[in-house]
Amino acid sequence: MLKRLCAGLMVLIVVLAPMYLVAGPATDSVKANVTAVIDVLKDPKLKGPAGKKAKEQKIEVIADRMFDYVELSKRTLGLNWNKFTVDQRKEFVELFKGMLRDTYIDRITAYSNEQVNFTKELPLTENSVEVQTVVISSSARTPINYRAMKKGNEWKVYDVVIEGVSLVSNYRTQFRDILGNNPPQTLIDTLRKKKAGSK
Amino acid sequence: MRNLFNGAKAPADLFVIRPATVLFFILFLGWCGPLLGQEVGAVSVRTLKAAEDQSPFVMAGFTEKDVPARYAAGKPVAENTGAVPEKPDVKAAPGGASDDEYGDVTPEELGIGPKAGKTSDEYGDVVSDTGEGLEAKETYDPIRPFNTAMYHFNDKVYYWAWKPVSTGYKYVVPHEVRGIILNFYENLKAPMRIINNLLQGDMEHAGTEFASLLINLTLGVGGLKNCAQDCFGIQRDYADFGQTLGKWGFGYGFYVVLPFLGPSDVRDGIGLLFDWPLRPTSYLGDEFFNEYNVGLYIHEKINYTSFHLGEYEALQNASADPYVAMREIYLQYRDNLIRKR
Repeated sequence: MLKRLCAGLMVLIVVLAPMYLVAGPATDSVKANVTAVIDVLKDPKLKGPAGKKAKEQKIEVIADRMFDYVELSKRTLGLNWNKFTVDQRKEFVELFKGMLRDTYIDRITAYSNEQVNFTKELPLTENSVEVQTVVISSSARTPINYRAMKKGNEWKVYDVVIEGVSLVSNYRTQFRDILGNNPPQTLIDTLRKKKAGSK
Repeated sequence: MRNLFNGAKAPADLFVIRPATVLFFILFLGWCGPLLGQEVGAVSVRTLKAAEDQSPFVMAGFTEKDVPARYAAGKPVAENTGAVPEKPDVKAAPGGASDDEYGDVTPEELGIGPKAGKTSDEYGDVVSDTGEGLEAKETYDPIRPFNTAMYHFNDKVYYWAWKPVSTGYKYVVPHEVRGIILNFYENLKAPMRIINNLLQGDMEHAGTEFASLLINLTLGVGGLKNCAQDCFGIQRDYADFGQTLGKWGFGYGFYVVLPFLGPSDVRDGIGLLFDWPLRPTSYLGDEFFNEYNVGLYIHEKINYTSFHLGEYEALQNASADPYVAMREIYLQYRDNLIRKR
């Protein structure tokens, strides 16, 4: 009896499930990019330390396609963005992008056996959505959500939320802290120093 | 089944069947519960998010057509709502002059598309703090000098002791064995998760945790294997007393960096103390804190760290201010555990 009920419920869930898995164009776009990264990571030709450099380059190309670094920078700086001159804005975007790239590409290339499930697409505003995914490894399930907005005909990611921690929000507090008492140039110098130090 | 229908015969017989029925019911709950929970959860989270995520733009009633230009200062968008940029950027004001400059950089760099006119707005002023609103909470860190000192202390502890020990441990103990140890410790903490889920009024997650515990103790050979997850796909549902307090409506107080233990806050610090007696290992020896249970705790942490080496370093490399980064990540992560579960 219970077994039948359980089976019945499962059938019901399977039938209902697609209603919650309405994948929109944003999910398709994020999915295409994430799948491309996974393909690079799994590429047998790029195994070992020799292939690491090639892997990193390929992932960087995908990341450039996937993310809108200017939007990401704007959201991170908030109104402080307006204090920057246009040249400073450009330099900031490049430095910030470099910092994210250096860190995350290094971490990402360490992975190989992860599986990514696309669970849901959640509307945030009229032209932005959150694409929710779960990264499943042998030891953990990590929810990673991509916030993307429509730019022209493309969906560009402007924030990544890992286990409830938003990248933009995290950096915003850090930068606000620095910009609270210092001019924009100080933040740029800090990032520059960081870049010089990591090489 | 037979017993149920021959009811006249035997209260004793009925008695025999009962524990098995209860067990089956629990397994059933554990099995179907998470699946059901996901669907139900999906709805509630969605509604919650939809309500909370109302961005200022939507609330201001922008139409889709307005949105692409909304970041540019002095655009009709800003005028429509009367939202004047808080700090008009004087230097960027002659925006037309920089148009061609952007023309070269952005389309190829960012692949935004053919509309050169729009890309020129890319580096324009922003109209408001474009946060999602969800994470933009005030951070309370009144004892920052103490916290900063503790942060540096912990940093030294990590690099001088924790990291070398964990690295050596990882080198000596095979991956599989460390995995077994990880499962064993996690399973031991089941009482903590069950009781806290109960305290949070979350019967479903308490049920899955209980089912997990039973399966892992039996099929998982006393908790050496996480069979609940590997064989049945039952996910653990983390819960601790700090989270329970949060669900009861307590705020986090303020941020505290604990020596050795790292980032915490007032609420979670209290939570740690309450959870300690819920760990079966705490009952080794005569006192609540002695060389046995604290030793096991340290071993648990070393074993755990052996799976996560390099993450702390990555965090430091990726931050303009690692102290603030760590604080924000901790507080957001905890907040998420309380709000979204």
